[in-house]
Amino acid sequence: MTDTGLGSLTTVHAIAAPRGYGAWRRLLRHRSFVIGSSIILLLTLAAVLAPLISPVDPSAMRVRFRFRPPSQAFWFGTDMFGRDVFTRVLYGARVSLFVGFAVCVVSGLCSAILGVIAAQFRRLDGAIMRLMDALMSFPAILLALGIAAALGPRVSSVIIALTVAYIPAGVRIVRAAALTVREMDFVQAAQVSGASSLRIVLRHILPNCLSPLLVHLTFIFAYAMLAEAALSFLGVGIQPPIASWGNIIAEGRDYATEAWWVMLFPGIAISLAALSLNLLGDALGDMLDPRLKGGE
Amino acid sequence: MEEVALIRIVAVKFLQAVPVILIISILAFLLLSLLPGDPALIIAGEQASPAAVEQVRRQLGLDRSFLEQLGIWLFNLAQGNFGSSLVLNQSVLSAVAERLPVTLSLAALSISFTIPVGVLLGSVAAYFRRTWIDSAVMTVALLGVSIPAFWIAILGVILFSVQLGWVPSSGFTPISQGVGPWFASLALPALILSLFQIGFLARMTRSAMLDVLGQDYIRTARAKGLSEWRTVGKHALRNALILIITATGILLSAAIGGSVIIEQVFALPGIGRMVVQAILARDYPLVQGTMLILGFTFVMINLIVDILYTLADPRVRHD
Amino acid sequence: MSWNVARRGIAVALALGLAVSLGPVGSARAQTPKKGGTLVYASVSGPGTLDPYMASSAVELEVINNIFEGLVTLDNANATRPMLATKATASTDFKTYSFELRKGVKFHNGQEMTSADVKASFERYKRISPNAKNLDAVDRFETPDPYSFVIVLKEPNVVLLDVIKSPIYPLMILPASQKDKPARDIEVIGTGPFKLGEWVKDSHLTITRFDDYTADTSVPGRDGYGGRKTVYLDGVRYRFMPEATTRIAALQNGEAQMISSVPSELAARVTSRKDLAIREVFPTLGSYVIVNSQKGLTANVLIRQAIAAAINVDDIIEGAGGINKRNPWMSFPGTPYFLGDTAPTPWYDIKSPARAKELLKQAGYKGEKIVIETNSNYQWMRSTMLIVAEQLKEAGMTVDVQVTDWTTNASHMQQGTGDWNLSTTAFGPDHILGPQQWRPVLYTFPHIVGNEILDKAYAEFFAAPTLEARRASWLTIQKEVLGGGYLVKIADTGRLTGYAKKLQGQNDYAGILQLWDLWLD
Repeated sequence: MTDTGLGSLTTVHAIAAPRGYGAWRRLLRHRSFVIGSSIILLLTLAAVLAPLISPVDPSAMRVRFRFRPPSQAFWFGTDMFGRDVFTRVLYGARVSLFVGFAVCVVSGLCSAILGVIAAQFRRLDGAIMRLMDALMSFPAILLALGIAAALGPRVSSVIIALTVAYIPAGVRIVRAAALTVREMDFVQAAQVSGASSLRIVLRHILPNCLSPLLVHLTFIFAYAMLAEAALSFLGVGIQPPIASWGNIIAEGRDYATEAWWVMLFPGIAISLAALSLNLLGDALGDMLDPRLKGGE
Repeated sequence: MEEVALIRIVAVKFLQAVPVILIISILAFLLLSLLPGDPALIIAGEQASPAAVEQVRRQLGLDRSFLEQLGIWLFNLAQGNFGSSLVLNQSVLSAVAERLPVTLSLAALSISFTIPVGVLLGSVAAYFRRTWIDSAVMTVALLGVSIPAFWIAILGVILFSVQLGWVPSSGFTPISQGVGPWFASLALPALILSLFQIGFLARMTRSAMLDVLGQDYIRTARAKGLSEWRTVGKHALRNALILIITATGILLSAAIGGSVIIEQVFALPGIGRMVVQAILARDYPLVQGTMLILGFTFVMINLIVDILYTLADPRVRHD
Repeated sequence: MSWNVARRGIAVALALGLAVSLGPVGSARAQTPKKGGTLVYASVSGPGTLDPYMASSAVELEVINNIFEGLVTLDNANATRPMLATKATASTDFKTYSFELRKGVKFHNGQEMTSADVKASFERYKRISPNAKNLDAVDRFETPDPYSFVIVLKEPNVVLLDVIKSPIYPLMILPASQKDKPARDIEVIGTGPFKLGEWVKDSHLTITRFDDYTADTSVPGRDGYGGRKTVYLDGVRYRFMPEATTRIAALQNGEAQMISSVPSELAARVTSRKDLAIREVFPTLGSYVIVNSQKGLTANVLIRQAIAAAINVDDIIEGAGGINKRNPWMSFPGTPYFLGDTAPTPWYDIKSPARAKELLKQAGYKGEKIVIETNSNYQWMRSTMLIVAEQLKEAGMTVDVQVTDWTTNASHMQQGTGDWNLSTTAFGPDHILGPQQWRPVLYTFPHIVGNEILDKAYAEFFAAPTLEARRASWLTIQKEVLGGGYLVKIADTGRLTGYAKKLQGQNDYAGILQLWDLWLD
């Protein structure tokens, strides 16, 4: 889980690097990028350092202290079992960010592979893209709901379910990028000079598909976190005693009027995380897509 | 000549949809045959004897081989038979038809909130690009796509229904009982459903408008001394029509996807709520059949959007 | 997941315990009933079926009970009383039961009910109901004349009327035309005081007053589920609202006049309003931790006892919410088989991690994993198991909480399949009818096999000539089941319903929803 925030930063670096030091500096001057990445970094740090920040066991119950409002002792109050909501939100960050990150990585890998195959091996294109069309015809949340219900309420099933739901969009993006790159002179040149197609894919096509994919994955990170929360709310997501932002809200929703703090804080946490990821995605899109700057 | 080209495009799109529909049918079957829990047990009841469960299993054809079951499934589909719900004691088609008005009302209302607001926000942001107005509008739009719908929905119920008493807390009033009550029962759910869509559409509009505003003919128009409003209004917005056609397809998908959760929170008896209940109750055929109908619907929506797009955008037609 | 509460449940069924109502019900009696008006009742979810022979869940029975009637039913004290029959008599050898039917009783379709309808109903019940095994001993049904019905048994059965009056899978009388209808596929026609109006699945259901209803005039007023029923309301609209918060909001803003399942934490939202009130229905069920005695660690009696010793009932009562009252016994106080003040087990609510650790040490426990299975459908079950998990952890046990769906969870408990050591459910209402109803439950849920003490005690129970002797056997049974840690009793539970005070005429009987004798002021 340490990788969540650092991971996205290092990949950003990897993309920005070929464009030189200037691009990286430009990113750092971009307000949305700075705000978005700082919040995400902060949330990730909080998740990683959860045991240090709050020494309390997130599932420890002290029934006598149930439904205490926020105070010095309980920053975010306590829930119906007297568990500390602040601690649960911290530990919930681990699960929610991990799910988002894992869905990003797995669906990113699958999209890259399938997208490049579709673009490179034209005979498979039709089959792959029709399959993606079919998957995209189901509302993503219903598809995820069905798969998550089929696999049982576990972290891994939520990740698999959301990955399947989000692959098609990624494949389309990679394929479109790869098709454009294929036609470019340097790829044509490499082909003429007899480079193997594996080499062309790895050296030329794949690297050039990464930036649109990266921008897309930043948004997927946010969607996946939100979808995890929705699945938990519907009862097929991650189940207590493991805390996730989604299931803390779900558990607290019946007491929303009396003990508003139980569902308020995790909701703010998700919104904040999703907002900063979206800012980050916008910033990356801005920097990596020259067309938008042309509009100036 | 042009008409022939158009018909050809439409025909090609139709042909492309055929394998997609077949794949959807197989996927829907596969997905749900993976579900744990025994549908025979659900029908027979938790107290039923093993023999009774076995009998139900035979009746449902669950004792047949996987391929046989798939074959029967496809054969039935070809005849327009989407199966029957185990719990509702009703055919999938009639169950969906019964709940369609609710989901459609919700989707239509939310989209009618979304389009003016979203296009307006996006256009304003594009026009004032890179100013504080742009930042403010885009932050609001981003919040729309970042806040979990069910969370804001619960807060909305507490505020508007419990505290202020403006709208009923849940449930659906059919339009046949009056437009007023119908609207009141859907206003809050539709509004919350449209938050995400507004955020999405505003962002889409902004980037499309930026694209257009940068293009030559707008610059020319400006250079010719046409007023700002006429420039932006006439040229840009006509192009925005194409955007709206594309966006409506996506918004419709988003609305139906989002309604799954909104219907649950507000206890609206729509398709989304029915599917969630069916999944939780392990009502396989109902889930399969409904997913399939939704899948077909989306294929059709995309098809229509593609065709309209071809009609509206001369560039596409001449390609 | 609260919207599924009370959706399906066998073990978690309804209650007809003794009424210990706290609601300000009595004061309403003084006023004169008013005719007219539609009551809106908001419940958790809609019925799956209105076929009485297939119905075991609260949401179904709450409708069925107002539309249909059976030959016999329960009275205020839960003893047998006639409903559509005027008299039910058993032969001295308990092999022949004869019923005289009330004359002039009309079905909702206008036809008169006769013995042909009764016979057809019993035959259909025998064919399709999950509860049909209770009619296995039937040799034949006879209809000597239109108002007489006779059941002839192959072997004696002293409790046949208990089966026929059971409110779960109720043996309601349908028109003979429904005889060959498959399960769940009847036309909803009964003899009850209400008839079905409109039913939109997942949205709402309405019932309307049946003006040709033939009331039972043998008594002056209602009695349990039977007696003289008077309908003042024009109709009742059931609305389905899965979220407790929205149900309460509906009551507060006047959309509903009665709502089901109010979580105890939220009761103040209702009682803070002068025009609203809460009715407590208690006891309805008894809640238990089920210990799988055939699975791994929990096959060891010492481990089971350690679990029982570690459990803190007070914390569960407070943390899981709902109406729960301590009771170490398996029978409700005030019933014939309630055996007094001292607990039948040394373990009830001793909240002693130390004692548990001692027992674990004796058992040679080395931190092996104890699997707790529960479901996402019933919130109180999940809460209970989460609290139990923490209590076991405190006593040094390694626990793993698995959350599945109710259907899977229930079938695991009943069939002994799946990989679990502990789970939870509540039992009722059958057990208030006597220890004989407990027997299948005891053997099924904790999967007790080869326990000679228990087998012997039950053999004695069924042979016992007097209540005193049967009570003695029942004590042995409870000592063995609770003392051996097969079941860990938590508490007797009830439920809260909310209503607007202008809804008058509710009674103290803790049965399934009754909509007769109610009026809107």
